[in-house]
Amino acid sequence: MKPEQSRRVRRERRPGSRSSFTLIASGLLAVGLALAGGCVGTIGDPPGESSCTSCPTNPDPATPALETTRFPRLSHLQWENSVQDLLYLAQPAGLSASFTGDPLGGIFDNNESSLQVTPGLWADYQTAAEALSVLVTSDATKLAKLIPSDAPADAAGRAKAFVEHFGMRAYRRPLTPAEVTGYLAVFAKGKALVDGPDDFAKGARLALQAFLQSPHFVYRVEASSTAIGAMIPLSGFEIATKLSYMLWNTMPDDALFAAAAAGKLDSAEGVLAQAQRLLADDRARMMVAAFHHQLFQYDHYDDLTKDPTLFPDWTPALGADMKQESEMFVEDVVFAEGGGIKQLLTEPTTFVNADLASIYGLKGSFDSKFVKVDLDPKTRSGILTRIGFLASNATSHEQHSIHRGVFINRRIICAKLPDPPNNVPPLPPASAFKTNRERVEKHTGKGTCGETCHGTLINPAGFAFEHYGAIGQYEDTENGNPVNSADTYPLDGKDVSYNDAIAFDGLIAESDQVHACYAKHWLQYGYGRADQPADAVAIADLAKESRKGAKALILALTQTQAFRSRIPHTETP
Amino acid sequence: MMQRRHFLRGLGGVIIALPFLETFAPKGALAAGPPPFAIFMRQANGVVQKTDEPDVFWPKALGKLTKAGLAAESDRAVSVLSDYADKLLVVQGVNFAFPGNGCGHSGGGNQCLTAAKVSDTPSGNESLAMGESIDNRIARELQPAGVEPLTLYAGKMSGYINEVLSYRGPKQLRSAERDPFVAYTKLFGAQNMDAAALERLKAARSSVNDLVRGDMKSLMGRTDLSADDRARLQLHFDSIRDLEVKMACALPDMRLAEMQAIQPTVGSSDNVQTVTKMQMDIIALAVSCGSVRAATLQIGDGNDSTEYTIYGQKQYSYHWISHRIQSDGASGTPIDNGAELHHEIDKIHGNLFKYLLDRLASYTIGSGTLLDSGIAVWTNDLADKYHSYSNIPYILAGGANGFLATGQHIDAGGVTNNKMWNVVGAAVGCKTNGKPMDDFGDPSLDPGFIPAMMV
Repeated sequence: MKPEQSRRVRRERRPGSRSSFTLIASGLLAVGLALAGGCVGTIGDPPGESSCTSCPTNPDPATPALETTRFPRLSHLQWENSVQDLLYLAQPAGLSASFTGDPLGGIFDNNESSLQVTPGLWADYQTAAEALSVLVTSDATKLAKLIPSDAPADAAGRAKAFVEHFGMRAYRRPLTPAEVTGYLAVFAKGKALVDGPDDFAKGARLALQAFLQSPHFVYRVEASSTAIGAMIPLSGFEIATKLSYMLWNTMPDDALFAAAAAGKLDSAEGVLAQAQRLLADDRARMMVAAFHHQLFQYDHYDDLTKDPTLFPDWTPALGADMKQESEMFVEDVVFAEGGGIKQLLTEPTTFVNADLASIYGLKGSFDSKFVKVDLDPKTRSGILTRIGFLASNATSHEQHSIHRGVFINRRIICAKLPDPPNNVPPLPPASAFKTNRERVEKHTGKGTCGETCHGTLINPAGFAFEHYGAIGQYEDTENGNPVNSADTYPLDGKDVSYNDAIAFDGLIAESDQVHACYAKHWLQYGYGRADQPADAVAIADLAKESRKGAKALILALTQTQAFRSRIPHTETP
Repeated sequence: MMQRRHFLRGLGGVIIALPFLETFAPKGALAAGPPPFAIFMRQANGVVQKTDEPDVFWPKALGKLTKAGLAAESDRAVSVLSDYADKLLVVQGVNFAFPGNGCGHSGGGNQCLTAAKVSDTPSGNESLAMGESIDNRIARELQPAGVEPLTLYAGKMSGYINEVLSYRGPKQLRSAERDPFVAYTKLFGAQNMDAAALERLKAARSSVNDLVRGDMKSLMGRTDLSADDRARLQLHFDSIRDLEVKMACALPDMRLAEMQAIQPTVGSSDNVQTVTKMQMDIIALAVSCGSVRAATLQIGDGNDSTEYTIYGQKQYSYHWISHRIQSDGASGTPIDNGAELHHEIDKIHGNLFKYLLDRLASYTIGSGTLLDSGIAVWTNDLADKYHSYSNIPYILAGGANGFLATGQHIDAGGVTNNKMWNVVGAAVGCKTNGKPMDDFGDPSLDPGFIPAMMV
């Protein structure tokens, strides 16, 4: 895909919008990634507001935005949810579990560039469509749910009502007359070609197979083509689809379809009203959980091996417990407390069962049930002082300062770290040093060849967590020596110092860099694509919303002009 | 959870079993061999060969390989393949042509089967190959349209770098299936049908496909689509296939039950070798039936983090061992016996490759075996503990019906790996302008073969 010609920036304040959130026209402006070579700088600093004094200015202020696809494919999670809602199934069908996988496209599973219909996945869709069509049409109760209550009694009228009603929900827009005719033709063939309890069920069975394999079902098609000014406004139904997949990872509900049909999604205010409604639904909680699951790498909590002589009670089953703890903590912070990344990094409450309580050193009576507890605020703050993060970034017998530091720099602060060079001699033997930190510093710290990245960014972030051992247990001493978790880190363009993880978490939680990083990741997940240089303004504005909490940030994602429109295509076909 | 195995499908969704045939380790000889094929098994993280450590991987001398000679070199990893000495072609002196872009593992994986450049964007661990892989070339040219190469995987998916091997084209990385039962079901999970039912099914699928193709054509007819969107829709359109009837093949129910049993823990370190062998059973069956002409099997993730059990003890991540330190990064506490453990892991891969050769050799064809019909390759996406791109391991077995000069250990003299894949592609039948393919890989590379590999 070639970059389009640059367009002028349009920044506007919309009357009635809930904040001074101003928008990109995706497209439009352009500030490059404020990335310095080497290990300084942040990603996505806003123009003129860069927190990173050492970063270069963008060399190309006219960096254009890229055209996004008109055919973002449903992720497998979205397909599973959509099928359940479309067919009114009580449980997920579970068929996507064996779908051909998608290659990684960054951190999240919904990056449009990685989602394609390949021969393997097409066959998966076909198999699933046939299975689901049999499931639904074999059961009169299930099939009845797909037919409008006011459908005519005669066979032809009933078939047409079914096709129009179900088709609108499958395509997430009303069918054209030609499409209705096409589906009725397939419906008519069902009697001779497939089995079923009766002729209507047979017709519906074959039509369902076609609906579920249509590109209009498997892609979120953005067909709008008429530009107004520099942008093509999306139709109400396209906005409804974008909104529901962003906030729910599934298709729109009836109320959202009704809002689209009534033209209520043509304004930012109308979109906001629906976004607020959707965000109050349980399906939004699942979406928020899926985002954090991937961002915080809960999957790394599985299959951890710890030295049985040091940690005899450790079992791989703790992986599932740590995931559940993290999921409950995130949901509590975001939805019960109305918090965001600040609270996720600093809130010392969590959810534990007996096994986790033991590692945290909690006194009291616990069993297999998870309960909310207050951890000691002197030794525990937010997600980075939880067992999951700490144990998954550790060796089998001790903390791994470098791995912890790299994760924090990349996933929490979005500091630019190049990959490590090859052929670096290993750390000296542990026996020569009193502590892990002393050994790591000797090798990579200030005054060594590893100073640029390790000494200034990786080690200081990792050392803040020196009190937490291989399974995330808190310790005051190491090998009989006091633990040193104090250091200095370049945050928002100036060096900040701290004594321990609690102070470090508090500092980064207030920083512009961390809020911009969280906003950048939400933009990636919410819009299902990699961020572009032209997103810098949006990320800066989203970062301000982030200070009001994750929900405010998510709502702000629906308020950009980019959300409601797309860039016209200018490439020669 | 619905059980999908009861529904009809096959590779590309097209195969129906007629009749059901047990071909696992067949007692009788196959009447005719399948067309030549190529199988690529990829190990990660390099091998223990000459750096500042001694070489314990390659056979000690160049020249003819004999069973007795290889068996006597038990300190060399390739020695575990001594039973197949006369079928082996061991090739040193082949390099990747291009530098990585911020991540050695990713850049190595990008070039391993493509001989293509590494992408500028994305970079680092997300870098992608700028060309198609050799398995794709073979499938594209020699398999029916819409039938992709078999792309399998064994072990963990870490989320840092997962699949690395198979590319449809520039930046078009193909995902791999790591669950043998799912892979098997998709390839061979068919059932018997009578002729009348088959005709109805064929007609039903055609009517659905026709409608879907109509929708696709309508979208593809738009003039305001980006090149990416055109390619996206074309791939989808080309994937739609009508029902074809072919002979089906099957593994014994007991083996399928084992595959089903391992599904919940298919990605655990403890099961890597078991899963690898299951995937090899599927690959051997697939090539024996002529279902595919090219298959890849990736063992472990991009920088393989499998924790192998060696000397009865679960060891550190293989990636850590390969760097001899307790870290995925550039620094960490030394693993004192890292080289020894890495050598053991090389031998584990050698024995897994031997299992594949055993499977292929179990199918008798005339006076030979299935192994003689095709080529199996044990390769790596890095060379050594420093993860260099020079002197990449290439252990080939089988001769593609006499095309390869097997039974020897050669040094190609520092050529780029496009020439290796030119030989393999030409051996299985790929052509360029009607002549044996000699121009695979990046266009900037010198075309041609490694003559010493060929009879």
